[in-house]
Amino acid sequence: MEPSLLPPEVADAHREFPAALAACRDLDALMRLKGTYVGREGSHAARLMEQLKAAPKEAKRELGAAINALKNQWEEAIKARGGELEQARARSTALAKAWDPDLPPPQPPPGALHPLTRLMDRMVDVFRPLGYHVEEGPEAETEAHNFDGLNIPQDHPARGSADTFYFKDQDGLLLRTHTSPVQVRVLRRIGARGADGLSELERTGGIRFLAPGRVYRKDEIDPTHSPMFHQVEGMIVGKGIGMHHLKGTLAYAMKALFGPAAEVRFRPSYFPFVEPGAEMDVRCPLCGGTGCRVCKGSGWVELLGAGLLHPNILTMAGIDPDVWSGFAFGMGVERTAMMVSQTPDLRLFFENDQRFLRTMGGLD
Amino acid sequence: MLIEINALREELPAVAGMPVGRLCEQLAGLGFPVDGVDVSGPSPVLEVDVTANRGDAQSHRGLARDLAAKLGADLSPLTHLVLTEGKALVPVRLEAGTACPFYSTAVLELGAGTTPGPVRAFLAAMGAGAKGLPAVDASNELLHRYGHPTHAFDADLVQGGITVRYAREGETLVTLDGVERKLTGQDLLIADDVGPIGLAGLMGGDSTKVSAATRRVLLESAWFEPRAVRAMAHRHGLHTDASQRFGRGADPAFARVARDLLAQRLHDWAGARLVSAWAAGTPPEAGPAAPLTWAMLDRVAGLPVDHWEASSFLRRLGCSLGELPGGLSVRPPSWRHDLALPDDFAEEVLRLKGYEAIPAALPPLDSAPVPLAPEYLKRRKLALRLANLGFLQTVTLGFVDPAERQEAPWLDDQQDLRTLRNPLGEDYSVMRGTLLRDLGRVARMNLERGAREVRLFEIAPVFRALPGQSMTETWTLGLVWAGEAGGEDPLSPARAMAEPEGQSFLVGILKAIGVPEAAIRAFDHWPMASGGWQFELPLAAIADEPERIIPRFAPFSRFPVVERDLSLLVDLDQSYGGLRDALAAALAGTPLLDLRCVDVFRHKSLAEGRQAWLIRLRFQAMDRTLTGEEVDGWTNIALAAANALGCALRG
Repeated sequence: MEPSLLPPEVADAHREFPAALAACRDLDALMRLKGTYVGREGSHAARLMEQLKAAPKEAKRELGAAINALKNQWEEAIKARGGELEQARARSTALAKAWDPDLPPPQPPPGALHPLTRLMDRMVDVFRPLGYHVEEGPEAETEAHNFDGLNIPQDHPARGSADTFYFKDQDGLLLRTHTSPVQVRVLRRIGARGADGLSELERTGGIRFLAPGRVYRKDEIDPTHSPMFHQVEGMIVGKGIGMHHLKGTLAYAMKALFGPAAEVRFRPSYFPFVEPGAEMDVRCPLCGGTGCRVCKGSGWVELLGAGLLHPNILTMAGIDPDVWSGFAFGMGVERTAMMVSQTPDLRLFFENDQRFLRTMGGLD
Repeated sequence: MLIEINALREELPAVAGMPVGRLCEQLAGLGFPVDGVDVSGPSPVLEVDVTANRGDAQSHRGLARDLAAKLGADLSPLTHLVLTEGKALVPVRLEAGTACPFYSTAVLELGAGTTPGPVRAFLAAMGAGAKGLPAVDASNELLHRYGHPTHAFDADLVQGGITVRYAREGETLVTLDGVERKLTGQDLLIADDVGPIGLAGLMGGDSTKVSAATRRVLLESAWFEPRAVRAMAHRHGLHTDASQRFGRGADPAFARVARDLLAQRLHDWAGARLVSAWAAGTPPEAGPAAPLTWAMLDRVAGLPVDHWEASSFLRRLGCSLGELPGGLSVRPPSWRHDLALPDDFAEEVLRLKGYEAIPAALPPLDSAPVPLAPEYLKRRKLALRLANLGFLQTVTLGFVDPAERQEAPWLDDQQDLRTLRNPLGEDYSVMRGTLLRDLGRVARMNLERGAREVRLFEIAPVFRALPGQSMTETWTLGLVWAGEAGGEDPLSPARAMAEPEGQSFLVGILKAIGVPEAAIRAFDHWPMASGGWQFELPLAAIADEPERIIPRFAPFSRFPVVERDLSLLVDLDQSYGGLRDALAAALAGTPLLDLRCVDVFRHKSLAEGRQAWLIRLRFQAMDRTLTGEEVDGWTNIALAAANALGCALRG
């Protein structure tokens, strides 16, 4: 149909049709468009039909065909658009029902145990099947438990006020510098003879326990030091305990804590309360042994100190070292936590930023 | 301790071809882990960690001796002239008893010559640096190479004889570092006829020091008791290479050898001529022998140790051995002050055999395992429960400042008694009596860093001290909730915490963790941090878990529950507990399952001073289905009880 033959408003509408069609984003809008163009009454098509009625007879046939073609063109385009919109609606309906597990849940994020708690709990869980229980002692300790009972010489520098915190006006009361005084307390308890003349040790035949807890040393706070940190102490007393038992126990525990591939090294060392003494190193987790800042180029990181119980500390607790023997070990919790998590700064554990606690903590 | 590889190889040719990495492994295997390797100089320098018991290993020859024993190799022989003891040019008097039982000396006239280049390089590698004075440099070189500290005085500045004695009160000495030191009766001195000229085993005096002008030197090579030297070093805060070696135990038998080596060096480097060498006293004997039984050795090692091998290890370490039935009698060499007990010798055998040779075994479980203590389990369960309630566990250091007294006025103990004598600073001077200050501080920090909601808890001991009583440590739970409620919930709008809401929330927490009802009612302070809620309570206030693994069976009904809601208009000051108890009392004897407030409505459309509570009553019988009529009857009884308290049915 020649555009010139169209009434002006219909010609405008026809020109605008493609844009109007594309602007229909849903079926309702399309239905409204349909009414406007090809509806029974008042539509552009209806207006053309009225024009046809008024047209001279001889022109009617040609005009009618042209109007029909135009109407069909509109209707088909609307139908096609309708198909598209139907598809889009089906797709979004399906999408709306789809499971998107990445959307945040409608509750606050869960809480968490502190990473140090998690590591200490894990230690207990690792040793539990071996028959270890948990023993604890006070943080405010006596020199007798913290030093004397551990065979630490009277003039040992660790006793000085540059290394150990002492309470004011509280004769020798100090903040324990390690969890080892728990050893002394337990040894004295199990070595003491009851009314029946037997000690707890003789009645039970042995003891094995862990002593996790807070300890204090007079270190300024820096990326690798803190005046308060945690240790986990382990001890066993029985008959015929030797270095092979210590080595076997630690090898089991280290594999349980660091995975079966962990490479450890067991070497001689010295602590006044054990003989023979030992330390266990683990292959540097950062460089894998090639040497780096963390392992100071040696490829190994010190993990824990250990050894067989020194006969003097057994004797001091009233336990005969010719009958009884045992081993002890002590592990720094922060140091180990830093190593396994590659946390670069010790202070993060005590700063308690929620973002740190959430990422490093957990519910087990 | 610094070890130059070339010098080590000179002492022990067997390691000449050994790669540095292998050498480090060998040292670690002997108990001397290498903390670092410096390859910047002409010879690699190892930073070796020597434990405090091994005074004998604080030198190149000391470590070489252990390596030689391990490898079954020989040390290089010492090449020096053994000086003949001659006339005492000046008297040497030993007046300090066991603190200095032996003192050897010699006087030499110096000729021309200076410290050789290689020795200067060695001293540089040791971080000492050469002085260019042969007597000083040779003494230093001897110390690092052989581990025995010696000293050289300018013989012409020493007035009269040498006396080793304790200081008299009021005496002073200017040491080589230029510091004037006040001496006490516990300071062990080298003195001449005028006064102190050296702190024994620590540092020489300034007045008799060797200089470029020195023509004659008087050498000192003595043995000082470790304890005396340690105490002096500690007292004067003067930790020197010499004090470290005497303090951990030098070899008494080496004192005379060190003098001769020093004299030989002065002869070789500076053309020195011996005037006379002499000594006073006798070096202390090596420690006594101890019995080492094969049975004990096997027990410690966890494997049958070959007797010949064990004997050979001990002999290579310098021990003298004797036969005993079932074992050996072992006497340590003069340089091993750390060996006394059979256990010590057992360690030596294992050390040389290598800890890697020890088998690994788990000890048999021959006593019944002890259950975990209820207090310990309680803490673990509590922490887990709070974490599951959305709280994050904190760990704080536990030191607080004295202002705690003002900020936590409910603490009724004596703060002074939990104050440290030697704190890191005022802010860290008191062991805390409450967790709340630390928690409040951490909460504020998190809010300042942009957290919208803070939920924290800590479980730790708090201290309490009263005069005449021993300090107590009480395991305590502290908890804080601050910021906006729902602030961390991405799908619900955050809002400020309303007071009743905060309190109900805390009550919910207290109930969830097992604080008994009575204790919750007795809670008289709910200290409010700025915009938050917090509490702390001793863990003892939390009910213990029942002994049984599963609670006793409680029967439940299989008949339907019938619900009725009462919408009541209630005065704002009506307590819910009061209404609840009144309704429950009125319904005693009915099959009331439970009743609770399911909605609180406060709005301006209600009458002034009134609120609306929706109370849900639930009835259920154990043995039958209830009828609507009887439930309506009970509901009316409840309504009557509510009316009696002034609560009206909401129209």
